[in-house]
Amino acid sequence: MTKTARAKSEIALTVNGKPKTVRAYPMERLLDVLRLQLGLTGTKEGCGEGECGACSVIMDGALIDSCLVPVLQAQGSNVVTIEGLGQDVRACTVQETFLEFGGAQCGICTPGMILAAVHLLREKPEPTMDDIRQGLAGNLCRCTGYVQIFEAVAAAARRGAAR
Amino acid sequence: MRSDPAEYDLVAPANLQAAVSLLASGPDRWLPIAGGTDLMVQYAAGTLRARKLVSISRLPELRRIEVLAEEIQIGAGCTYSDIRKHDSVQREFPMLASAAGWTGGIANQNRGTLGGNIVNASPAADSLPALLAYDAELILVSVRGERRVPYSTFHTSYKKITLAGDELIRSVCVPRRFGGYISDARKVGTRNAQAVSKVCMAALARVENGVIHDARVALGSVAPVPIRLTETERVLEGKPFDASLVQLASRMAAAEVAPIDDIRSTARYRSAVVANLIAEFLEKLGGKHQVRGATLERWNGLPAVEAENEILPCCGSRSWARSMAARRPFRDEASVLAASDEAWRVLAEADWMEAFASHPRIGESRAPESATARSAAWSSQEQRDTAGADEDVKAALREGNREYERRFGQIFIVCAAGKSGAEILQILRHRLQNDDRTEVREAAEQQRQISQIRLGKWLRG
Repeated sequence: MTKTARAKSEIALTVNGKPKTVRAYPMERLLDVLRLQLGLTGTKEGCGEGECGACSVIMDGALIDSCLVPVLQAQGSNVVTIEGLGQDVRACTVQETFLEFGGAQCGICTPGMILAAVHLLREKPEPTMDDIRQGLAGNLCRCTGYVQIFEAVAAAARRGAAR
Repeated sequence: MRSDPAEYDLVAPANLQAAVSLLASGPDRWLPIAGGTDLMVQYAAGTLRARKLVSISRLPELRRIEVLAEEIQIGAGCTYSDIRKHDSVQREFPMLASAAGWTGGIANQNRGTLGGNIVNASPAADSLPALLAYDAELILVSVRGERRVPYSTFHTSYKKITLAGDELIRSVCVPRRFGGYISDARKVGTRNAQAVSKVCMAALARVENGVIHDARVALGSVAPVPIRLTETERVLEGKPFDASLVQLASRMAAAEVAPIDDIRSTARYRSAVVANLIAEFLEKLGGKHQVRGATLERWNGLPAVEAENEILPCCGSRSWARSMAARRPFRDEASVLAASDEAWRVLAEADWMEAFASHPRIGESRAPESATARSAAWSSQEQRDTAGADEDVKAALREGNREYERRFGQIFIVCAAGKSGAEILQILRHRLQNDDRTEVREAAEQQRQISQIRLGKWLRG
């Protein structure tokens, strides 16, 4: 088969509150655009097939796996990555409780876990443990366990993270 | 090997008309891509053969759920999250809402679409048995117009569907005629989230005067396509629920499926699971019938004080019991559970404390004297998993309980059912760090969960 290179397009989107325009092939993964073009390397690649949640970001209010989104489908959307939480160097409540409860080990899953938790608390400000387990079920941690992570999310909820 | 994005075309038409025009522009076909939860996996693996893709994820025409008089039309581009959160779908098509809630994880549910699940045509897809059981029909659209086909004829063989190259699924229609049915949706897999099902089932039937009518049993992962168990359904028609029927039907169902050995499971295991799922479905039919006939109906008719006394062990608060008795009559278990939550939430803190005080300490069998016999028996059932903890954990729990009581002046309440001693200990230690107000709310939430479980046990006898 002959390889024909297609043209890149200009794609505009808002990332962490700032308008951005990137030149990319429409099938490039949002994950790669965030990491390689915009330098937002907090978003991690784990499995690359939507199983592990390491590349989770929030797009137009919905938690998504950025490895499964062709960047053209993100055109005009509002994307929040781990770098967009908190203010300047101050951590957001969920980040604080992850630190406090030891909800991280190697750190690859952590940004995705935190975004999944933030998304959950927006939908359910007072989640039960079951809600937390369900809300984070698409995010895998292969180092440690989930107990500290779940407890960190519960504590963030108690501290009114959703408000 | 990963694909090179430079080799792919992807365009995003603004509306459905433009999308189907593009699909009709052949001869080099365009492949529709919606949420990408299947196609982007192939793309990442370098196995996506199509080079020209048309994005349909933002077509407004595909993203609606319309509740009409006779049916609900779900746009093929609706995500699993759209479906599981939709009121009418939850109420009238609970098996579809459940299946949507155990497909992938939240991130996949926010992107994956019902139409995509159908077109991807995996025999293990979680939402497809529900569509079969509910007699869904599909509206297909192309520049040539629209046509309507029963979903049951859509999957012809493994991964084969009757969709022309220029067609899209526009909507999935489910008829609104299953209101009085009892349904049972089950996924058997390594875990609900992410794992692909070993077997999934959607089954429903009507029960009138103890007799089963119009049983509809659909299964995934047990044949090249999702299937209905028509032979088993026929055997169930017009029969009263009894043990011999359970035996007969589960044997028939296991014989009616044609599962295979694969990376996820074996044919033998799958057949055995099918037999068990059918048995549990029938027990649910039988059980629901008894609930309407027995406990709830009798309780609905009791004098107020007796009704209060009978329901008291489910929670332990007198005010709650009074409020529940005053809200009678109840139609079914679900309305009892909903009323309980409502009654509980508006109680005063002293009432909550009364309920907390009716429990034994966690890890200790002796109930307080104020507890009813029934409440004490339930407590020991609920704490079964805790009772098996080793001595170190038990000692730590005793110590933790004492510290908790010193700190908060009430006993430590936790919904213990299914939790190990070690898990409870961990929860106890974290809750010791709460401030008073937070902790009262937390304890009340735990008591709410305990009441829900106990109400269920009480009503199902």
